[in-house]
Amino acid sequence: MLNGRGSLRTLLIFGLFGVLWFSSVFANEPPASEDVGSVSVRMYQIEGSLPSEDPNSSQWDSVPSSEFNLAPQVHWPPRIQEVTVKSVKVKGVHNGQELAILVEYADPTEDAADAAALEFMVGDKPAHFAHGQEMLQVEGGPVNIWFWKNESGKAVDMSAKGFKTLESQPHQDVQAKGVWQNGTWKVVFSRSLKTEDSQDVQVEEGEWRSVAFAFWDGAVVDGLVKEKGGQKAVSTWWYIRAEPTADNSIFGWVILGLALAAAFELVIVRKLRKGQSV
Amino acid sequence: MKGPIFSGAIILAGMFIFLKFLLPLVTAPLPASLIYLYLALVLSGIMIYGTMSAPSLEAMMGPIFRFLSGKGQTGAGQIARLAVLVMFPLLVGWQTYSRLVPSDLPPAENRTIHPAPPGEFVGLSNPYPKTPENIMMGKGLYAAYCSPCHGANYDGKGPAAPGFNPPPANFSDPGTIAQLQEAYLFWRIKKGGVGLPVEGMPWKSAMPRWEEELPEEFIWKIIMGEYDGAHQSPRTWEEEEE
Repeated sequence: MLNGRGSLRTLLIFGLFGVLWFSSVFANEPPASEDVGSVSVRMYQIEGSLPSEDPNSSQWDSVPSSEFNLAPQVHWPPRIQEVTVKSVKVKGVHNGQELAILVEYADPTEDAADAAALEFMVGDKPAHFAHGQEMLQVEGGPVNIWFWKNESGKAVDMSAKGFKTLESQPHQDVQAKGVWQNGTWKVVFSRSLKTEDSQDVQVEEGEWRSVAFAFWDGAVVDGLVKEKGGQKAVSTWWYIRAEPTADNSIFGWVILGLALAAAFELVIVRKLRKGQSV
Repeated sequence: MKGPIFSGAIILAGMFIFLKFLLPLVTAPLPASLIYLYLALVLSGIMIYGTMSAPSLEAMMGPIFRFLSGKGQTGAGQIARLAVLVMFPLLVGWQTYSRLVPSDLPPAENRTIHPAPPGEFVGLSNPYPKTPENIMMGKGLYAAYCSPCHGANYDGKGPAAPGFNPPPANFSDPGTIAQLQEAYLFWRIKKGGVGLPVEGMPWKSAMPRWEEELPEEFIWKIIMGEYDGAHQSPRTWEEEEE
């Protein structure tokens, strides 16, 4: 017969065994946390129409943003040592059919040649972030670039695989809308998640894609546009994903697990109470 | 307090403390999965030892069975038993959930920072003598071509650095160029990020392919200036033979 102290001891011992069993949950190392900026953009799933036409829509207010630092493009001539846009905040939403990505960045002046671009890897082969330029030991793939310029007021759907191969696609699938206000550009790019065009990035819910950013300050200094062509603010690759629909079947399995564990306990306790060995 | 359960628990706890906290004092920390594996082995040993004879089985399992059956329990014992009976299904449910819930983390990246160079770059030595003039010229070229990313202080903190992922190498860190030979740097500067093998993830690197713009003489002198400026010495064949 167990008294209170004996039970306490048994509980303690159970606890120790329990901790060991429980620790199997943590047998896999937790992922290292990133302490500098974001590493990915999450396109949150929302119901109904997307705020694709309006960068100032209140729908964007509740969407968490990611932030990425930008660097002057020093990888390839023509280089630039100092750029206007130092970082960008990115938000994304989708509704299962369409996606919208909002980029928000500081630029003190609105200029006709101000421009913004998103770049995506296309297909399974890794593409170099600089327009999918040739790599020496790795076979690379192409990139899809969504380019928006203030003076045209629209997006151009482009492709590249290597320097000097950038061209507008025969089939245009991307829209964009930009608004400048108080030293800040907000530009929304939108497209359907998937297209029929093999030159386009295809966005599958729940799957990670690679994205990079580029921005041009079109201010005119001494009669010349400050940033154009290869002279721009850039990022290297980051991840982007259309968040998948929540899978509620998991909760069915959890309830099944709970029920089986409870039934197992019931059987054991009943046997013990009858004085049988387990 | 005595009995096989208690001894087993003490052994397990002691083993855990040894693997987790004491062993890292003399060697590299063990991965959690390995610690778990060792503890599982120890637990198996305890179970085998405890079930070798009928009396040892009774000594080990008896208290557990009596506790679970709940016969004659009062007060703390009752509460403890109830807690165990409630916690067990909840833990199973939680385990089920945590194993099924889809990960929302981006793919893990195991980028090799210093992958092996191609054969033609192995064993090259700097053809230029380390004269003050050559080092000075190398530092000047470094300032013009390299410092925007790698920094005027050779610390990887140039004005363009914050935008790049992976970040530019910090040459003053003893883990970078001090671990490498001059020939390795010659390869990395000449062929740039696009020259990396697949494990170096060349598609992410912004390191220019300087052979397109600079003569080999400049590259060798930049290497000289880089080591001098970062107060590091290249790794040499002599050191490797020691």
